Amino acid sequence: MTTELSSIERRVIAEDLIYGGTLLLDEQRFEDWLALTASRFRYRIGAYSPEIRKEMTWLDHDRDGMHALFELLGKHHVDHATWFRHAVVQRVTQEGPETLRAVTQLAIFHTSVDVGDVHVEAGSTRLFAVARYHDELVLENGRWLLADRLARLDTRQLGIGSHVIV
Amino acid sequence: MTGSTLAGWKRNLGSPALPYVSSSIYTDPEIFEEELEKIWRRTWLLAMHESELPAPLDYRTTTIAREPVIVVRGEDGKVRAFLNVCPHRGALLLREPAGSLRTSSPSGSTKHITCMFHSWQFDARGECTAIPRRRAGYQDRLECAEAKLHQVSCEIGYGGFIWLHLDGNAPPLADHIGDAFEDMRQHLEAEPLEIFHHHKAVVSTNYKLWHDTNSEFYHDYMHHFNRVTGMQQPGYFDRHYTPYKNGHVTVSSMVVKYNAYEHGALALAESRSLSFPGLEQNGWKLLDLFPGITVNLRGSALRIDTMTPLSADKVLIEFRGLGLKSDSPEDRARRVRDHNTIWGPFGRNLPEDLLGVTNQGRGMAQGAEPLHVLHGRVENNAIHDELGLRCYYAEWSRRLGRSARAPYSETQMDLYAAPERTLSSGADAE
Repeated sequence: MTTELSSIERRVIAEDLIYGGTLLLDEQRFEDWLALTASRFRYRIGAYSPEIRKEMTWLDHDRDGMHALFELLGKHHVDHATWFRHAVVQRVTQEGPETLRAVTQLAIFHTSVDVGDVHVEAGSTRLFAVARYHDELVLENGRWLLADRLARLDTRQLGIGSHVIV
Repeated sequence: MTGSTLAGWKRNLGSPALPYVSSSIYTDPEIFEEELEKIWRRTWLLAMHESELPAPLDYRTTTIAREPVIVVRGEDGKVRAFLNVCPHRGALLLREPAGSLRTSSPSGSTKHITCMFHSWQFDARGECTAIPRRRAGYQDRLECAEAKLHQVSCEIGYGGFIWLHLDGNAPPLADHIGDAFEDMRQHLEAEPLEIFHHHKAVVSTNYKLWHDTNSEFYHDYMHHFNRVTGMQQPGYFDRHYTPYKNGHVTVSSMVVKYNAYEHGALALAESRSLSFPGLEQNGWKLLDLFPGITVNLRGSALRIDTMTPLSADKVLIEFRGLGLKSDSPEDRARRVRDHNTIWGPFGRNLPEDLLGVTNQGRGMAQGAEPLHVLHGRVENNAIHDELGLRCYYAEWSRRLGRSARAPYSETQMDLYAAPERTLSSGADAE
């Protein structure tokens, strides 16, 4: 039974899970990404608005809700850009024998395919958003899984927005 | 081989019987500048909600037709607006989108607007209260009383929104709104509202194309969400437009079946048990106000769109979400969730709408051969009728003194076709 993990062990667990997850999201392998989440998984996107001086929640779903969103993507008109998540795990702390918390800095790059003046812009890359993942990782059935993720955006201007999570 | 010429194809559709506008009105930089002067500098605009300034000395900043503006709640509770420019050397006074004058700045004392450049100070009534070393530098040639801030006309109303008009001596806001708000009043003025959402998008399109999208529902074909929760449900085609003077229109309600947006047994949008005072459960009403404001009341959430046109092909759109000030934390969370399911930046509908108008912006690029853009659906003012567009461009043409159909014609003075039915609040122009 895991008790107190060393800092190296904590970091390896978090980096494997978070970096592996960002690659799956980049590749839009959403079901494989959901396989990295715990049964009680909750996903939120949040941001602070200095205009109204309030915290905002822009997306909030449980595991089933995320699964349904992904399944319905094909019924929506979406930005078919390719996405590149550059993640750096900054801090990993242990909260209990089976719980870790991690803070990850994230820069998301957007390579245009079909939005705007496609003939000119397709293939060009721009920074879409900067954000931090605030993650809770739990040990479930012998595997470390993502139990809670708050993707807190610094970037609040997202152009047309996105049907795909950050 | 025979074929159409480019110009011929672009102007093939459209006639007096099939209303249209020229795409030049969406692309011409000169027409855009004229719009700023004749429309945006001369009309009432919804700038924000009073709940964005909850306490005395709270302020917000914004921009109207390139003019920076401060909106501040005075110690007396009254909201006033001023040009956000120091009369001394033209520097911007307040730089943050929002804040409180209770906090002192590095250059000045509390309760004042202080120019960071030379520390000229102004109170929340716009009066100049301090000019450092005034007597030494200006002797008796300049008094503080002469250096007050330029006051922008400001009124609060129609759901507690703050409305601005750059002219300090503007006609009453009520003259502009007319009766267009009357159907919304029962829902939005029964009790105070409160803002919970704000986000912005800069989009490569003409501002009118966004308002056009908000003024017609034919584009529901673009939205899977709207098709399954609305178009395929009873009552959808009974919704109808009502035109009002000054280019405003309303859209009547229907009962939206939110939980039809589902995957398997899971309804992603739950039936909205929450509503607004007097609004039927899962009801949906809409009000479009000239020249670019949309009040969208849908189930449990109120969405407000406002625009700041940046150029002929670029616009800043601000999206606000509001609930009731009396909401419990649980009810507020419910409203936020309902709002963002479709209208947030990661919602189901909003990215599609913005993608649609971005495509229009690209399809009607500046310098391309002008296209006849159809506004010609006539369905007895029902939901896919394009009455809202025709109503808007009648007012647009009147204000600019240009035909939206032939904007460069010096002889064709037939302004855009008036709406087919009698205006609800009198056909007389503002």
